[in-house]
Amino acid sequence: MDAILTYIVNVVSLGGTYALLALGLAVVFSVLGLINFAHGELMTLAGYALLAGILLGVPFWAAVLAAVLVGGVAAVIMETTAFRPVRNANPATLLMTSFAVAMLLQVIFQNFISARGQAVPVPSLFTGSIAIGNAQVSIIQAISIVVSLLSLIALKVFFDRSRSGWAIRAAADDFETLRLMGFRASRLIAIAFLISGLLAGIAGVLWVMQRGSVDPLMGLKPVLAAFVVVVIGGLGSISGAVLGGYLLAAIEIALQTWLPEGLAPYRDSLTFVLVIAVLSLFPNGLFGKRVAEKV
Amino acid sequence: MSTLLDVTGLSVNYGGVQAVHDSSIRVEEGEAVALLGPNGAGKSSTLRAILGLIKSTGQVNFRSTSISGVACERIVSQGLTLVPEGRRLFPQLTIHENLMLAARHRKAIQSTYEALLARLPILAERRDQPAGTLSGGEQQQVAIARALMSQPDLLLIDEPSLGLAPTLVDRVYELLADLKADGLSMLIVEQEVIRVLNFADRAYAMANGTIVMSGSAAELRNSDDVKHFYLGAEE
Ligand SMILES: Nc1ncnc2c1ncn2[C@@H]1O[C@H](COP(=O)(O)OP(=O)(O)OP(=O)(O)O)[C@@H](O)[C@H]1O
Ligand SMILES: [Mg+2]
Repeated sequence: MDAILTYIVNVVSLGGTYALLALGLAVVFSVLGLINFAHGELMTLAGYALLAGILLGVPFWAAVLAAVLVGGVAAVIMETTAFRPVRNANPATLLMTSFAVAMLLQVIFQNFISARGQAVPVPSLFTGSIAIGNAQVSIIQAISIVVSLLSLIALKVFFDRSRSGWAIRAAADDFETLRLMGFRASRLIAIAFLISGLLAGIAGVLWVMQRGSVDPLMGLKPVLAAFVVVVIGGLGSISGAVLGGYLLAAIEIALQTWLPEGLAPYRDSLTFVLVIAVLSLFPNGLFGKRVAEKV
Repeated sequence: MSTLLDVTGLSVNYGGVQAVHDSSIRVEEGEAVALLGPNGAGKSSTLRAILGLIKSTGQVNFRSTSISGVACERIVSQGLTLVPEGRRLFPQLTIHENLMLAARHRKAIQSTYEALLARLPILAERRDQPAGTLSGGEQQQVAIARALMSQPDLLLIDEPSLGLAPTLVDRVYELLADLKADGLSMLIVEQEVIRVLNFADRAYAMANGTIVMSGSAAELRNSDDVKHFYLGAEE
């Protein structure tokens, strides 16, 4: 029973972070048809911003807020400087550009900060754990769960209620018709990057708080996972990105918890085997749109 | 009567394919004008070029102001819009979302929106259903309604009857007749030649990217060439 509870807490907290990252990727994919590999570096950047804020002695909440905003602003700068000039180039060029941006940022972090991880002194308030029955839930995990759920709800409201939200959902289908509805492509793309960056910022802060440190390659693994999530969920599907995030976390943590010790080194490969199995059954992803609907 | 749309010497070239060549089209205020032509004649390219969706050469004036080279979204805000070929509703968005997406100023649009709801009950009845679940005829009505949400003075419509059963085509043309009575000007691309010539005031016929004939709708209806090329070939 406690093992199950621990499992669920782990899945919901990791899954929430994956969902935020995957949504960030999906939003940009929707407007630009690009999987932004530099998304992880936005996370890392937010992590360094959090560290800087703490070292400068600003209140922790202000450091968190600043870190999230840094993610958003950096994403918009990334779009205007790196992606806008190649916007109408072919998808491979866009993809290469995103790799280049990711590499560039990693090198900058390594050379101007440090190749090694930096400890992030999270206030002790956040480092304890609470007991639920016999299971221990760390406060940071609880915060992760709450923050990711609140962010997802806020996004749902944005996508369901606002004109920009509808447009981002529609962009994957038909950008040209959006222009007939009076949307400027540049503005919509900038909004998508802003949202994507804010999500990366939130995920970055949660990630750093859990690990207690930040390093130049920190964003790599979670964004690879988010990339997998976006593919499982169905490229361009926003609800797919969320459900996919929780699904991947469920698989990953199940393997982590119950896989025999001897098989531990194969954990990641097993995750990918399961992912491939899912994709061979559902080539458009679990929640990918039915192509026949195109009018 | 003043000239709303004045297109002169319009040409569209798709990297080697000359889709439209030196075509001139005019729409006066309050007029419904038909643009006829067989498949591949260049009708859609003409409309898309006017709206700035594709590159073109030549001169396009709207209300005596040049809109050549102006971005599509700016043109739309000046009161000219297009109901694209194949309707192009956003299938995953609800009907309400499809309409409101086109409303740049939600408050200012309220009366237009309510008038549309009264005119097309389906908008209210199925407001929260994905547009992809509508039938073709319903989609065409919603697509026209959506275009009206930008409060245009001139509506370009690309093949409103495409793929619709005759009774549904009637429904669509009833809607267009209402809109015309309200003073909306339109340029309609259509392959249902008789239908559109009965509706329109004037017409142009296009073939191989050039305008080959123009005149009043009655003139084209009685022209032997139109009879031969379109009416004969239709069956
Ligand atoms: N994006 C494009 N790239 C290259 N050629 C194109 C493109 N769009 C249209 N064409 C070509 O331009 C010509 C005119 O096409 P257009 O779609 O304007 O014709 P249409 O009169 O609307 O035909 P239909 O009645 O079939 O809709 C055709 O030969 C078509 O193949
Ligand atoms: Mg056409």
